[in-house]
Amino acid sequence: MPLRSSSSLVRPAGSGRANGPGTSPARHPAGSRQHARGARAERLAPYILLAPAILIIVALRLWPLLLGVNFSFTGDGADNGTTVGWANYLELLEDPLFRGALGNVGLLVVLLPVAVAIPGLLATFIYLRVPGHRVYRSVYFFPAVLSPVIIGAIFNLMLAFDGPLNAVLAVIGLGPVDWLGDPDVAKFTVVGVHIWATFGMALVVFLAGFASLNPSLLDAARVDGASLRQSIWHVIIPSLTRTIQFVFVTTMIGMLTSMFGLLYVMTSGGPEGSTYLPEYYIWIQQGQMNRPALASAASTVLFLIMLVAGLLQISVLRRAGREN
Amino acid sequence: MKQRTLWSAVMVLGLGLAGCGSATRPASTPAESAKATKLVVWDWKSGDASAASYIQKAKADFAKKHPDVTLEFVAQPFEQYYTLLGAAIQSSTGPDVMLFNGGGQIRDRVGSLLPLDPYVTEDRQRLAGWDAFTKDGKTYAAPVTLQGHPIYYNKTLYEKAGLDPAKPAKTWDEFVGDCATIKKATGATCFALGNKEGIGIQFFLSGLGSSVLTPSEYDNWIAGKRDWTSPGVKKIFELWKESGDSGLNNEGANSTAMFNDAFSIFDAGKAAHIIGLMSDIGHWKDFSEFLGADKVGVMTAPLSITGATPSLPYDGGIGYAVAKWTKDPELASDLVRSLTATDALTSFYADAGAIASDTTIDVSQGPVAVGTIVSQLKSGKPALHVALSSKTLDLMGRLSQKLLSGSASVDDVVEELAASDRAS
Repeated sequence: MPLRSSSSLVRPAGSGRANGPGTSPARHPAGSRQHARGARAERLAPYILLAPAILIIVALRLWPLLLGVNFSFTGDGADNGTTVGWANYLELLEDPLFRGALGNVGLLVVLLPVAVAIPGLLATFIYLRVPGHRVYRSVYFFPAVLSPVIIGAIFNLMLAFDGPLNAVLAVIGLGPVDWLGDPDVAKFTVVGVHIWATFGMALVVFLAGFASLNPSLLDAARVDGASLRQSIWHVIIPSLTRTIQFVFVTTMIGMLTSMFGLLYVMTSGGPEGSTYLPEYYIWIQQGQMNRPALASAASTVLFLIMLVAGLLQISVLRRAGREN
Repeated sequence: MKQRTLWSAVMVLGLGLAGCGSATRPASTPAESAKATKLVVWDWKSGDASAASYIQKAKADFAKKHPDVTLEFVAQPFEQYYTLLGAAIQSSTGPDVMLFNGGGQIRDRVGSLLPLDPYVTEDRQRLAGWDAFTKDGKTYAAPVTLQGHPIYYNKTLYEKAGLDPAKPAKTWDEFVGDCATIKKATGATCFALGNKEGIGIQFFLSGLGSSVLTPSEYDNWIAGKRDWTSPGVKKIFELWKESGDSGLNNEGANSTAMFNDAFSIFDAGKAAHIIGLMSDIGHWKDFSEFLGADKVGVMTAPLSITGATPSLPYDGGIGYAVAKWTKDPELASDLVRSLTATDALTSFYADAGAIASDTTIDVSQGPVAVGTIVSQLKSGKPALHVALSSKTLDLMGRLSQKLLSGSASVDDVVEELAASDRAS
């Protein structure tokens, strides 16, 4: 209480609005109790108001996550429910299929610049008003509205061994390529189709970035006699750094999280397991092999990878924000 | 201020209740359904038009015995079926009666199933294919259809090539010779093969196994004593590699889906033979629609070694099982018995073309192909691939693709499969 009585003279920082300057507790002894309750209520209010959101996150997100991690340390089949330590993780480490799946994640990261460069380049052409740019703008976006299953089915037909693409290749005298049956080709085929299907979104982001580009810079470059390549390299790319970084982040998330549908429809992880990704591996172990605990372990590994990727992305975005 | 506290409390309570409501609702449904007045059945068949009369007759049969029990058939998509079932099993909630594929799919999950032996003694003789649903001497499901791998051939192509369609080859060498003749005359390949999912090798192993292994080797394999590095087993994988290397298969087999691209190749007359199925799809009825019922032949596996006796490989295909958590096991078992009643199964045979498990069904009016298959049931044996665990089958699928693409040798493959088979 001494603090409270002195509050009318010197209000310490952090004492809150409850004992504001207009109310003198000494003059209203009955009101002081009310105020004490009010202050407590005020102090608790934010927690109470936050409680539903926190409880929902804890109960529906964090708690299941912990259960999943805990489950990954138990056995499958006859060992269901018994603790097996790190056995599932060791099995993953020894499974060439899972290692291949992780390797393919690495491949996706390596191919990321290509996936960003394609929409960037096409957006540049549209911005520079190549003939027919209005048509291209909508045509490029069109695949983005199709579901991966439909896209997969279309390309299954197109890329079949006796399909149209190989027929066209035969006309120009090139041997048939087993697009989905050759392990060295199939993973690039699937990534190619994924890029084709999703670059429309990145293109729109790039076009939005171009809208904020100062055209006088390009005009100045043109007056100075810069070639197209020079304008792109020295004017457009530096001006769009932030957009490019954003597209990098979103494309990476897209590649790591939304290729399941395509894989499922186009290759089923094959041929020879060459197009496995961790998600597909998890699905196979849980659904087909009846190994839910092993699938949990794989999920945990995937979660950690995504966590690291996510943190890296956040730091990249932050740095980009500071630069601007 | 008091009011504000009150409001926040009300909000918390409200949200909490709303949250609870939505979280608990799905869980409460199976609990209600487990009451003895209602049985929930999961399968992937009851939605098919061709299974409609089968389900209807089974329901009618059950209603005669238990008129006051309601039945709920939930048709799940097959691709999702075991994933959904796995989730239901993990939480010990879900259907009372459920459909299973024979072999690994049910054997991996017997922990959650009720042994049916005391309830199905009367059906033992009438139905075939029990083994696929049996583990450690206990039966966990009653067979509805039989699934196996007859070798179908296109009689039209045989005629065009000047071969006698009534006398298909008896040995592997003759078979390869016939195939060369057909290829020359019609351009059709020997086999329609789809190995995109790695299923082609399963059909090949089972379809031709009995013509490569001696009867005792065969029986040992089924009994679990598998010698992967024996000459016989190696021979099967050598034949697989040989048919790929010498162009017996359609091109691009590793990117051709068995379901249904390989069947389409056979339907279109682009291949002379296919190791197909007996029930569901890819069977005599499907092929007859395209090729004509009298143009679809069934042949025994062409002999590769002397001493082997080719037989029809088949097992129980699909069968209904009862969950451990069902409230009234006897009631649920009665439903399983209704689902395998002769009347219902006859409809399934007639409408869907399935070779039903019931051996008393009269097929004499059906096409020749059915007659051949049914006549071989007696001497038939369980299919080789069904004895393997799903893990080994998955590995075999990938390795078989390597054999076709030439990136693995037969010796490496059998060694890896032996290791996987030992571990599971």
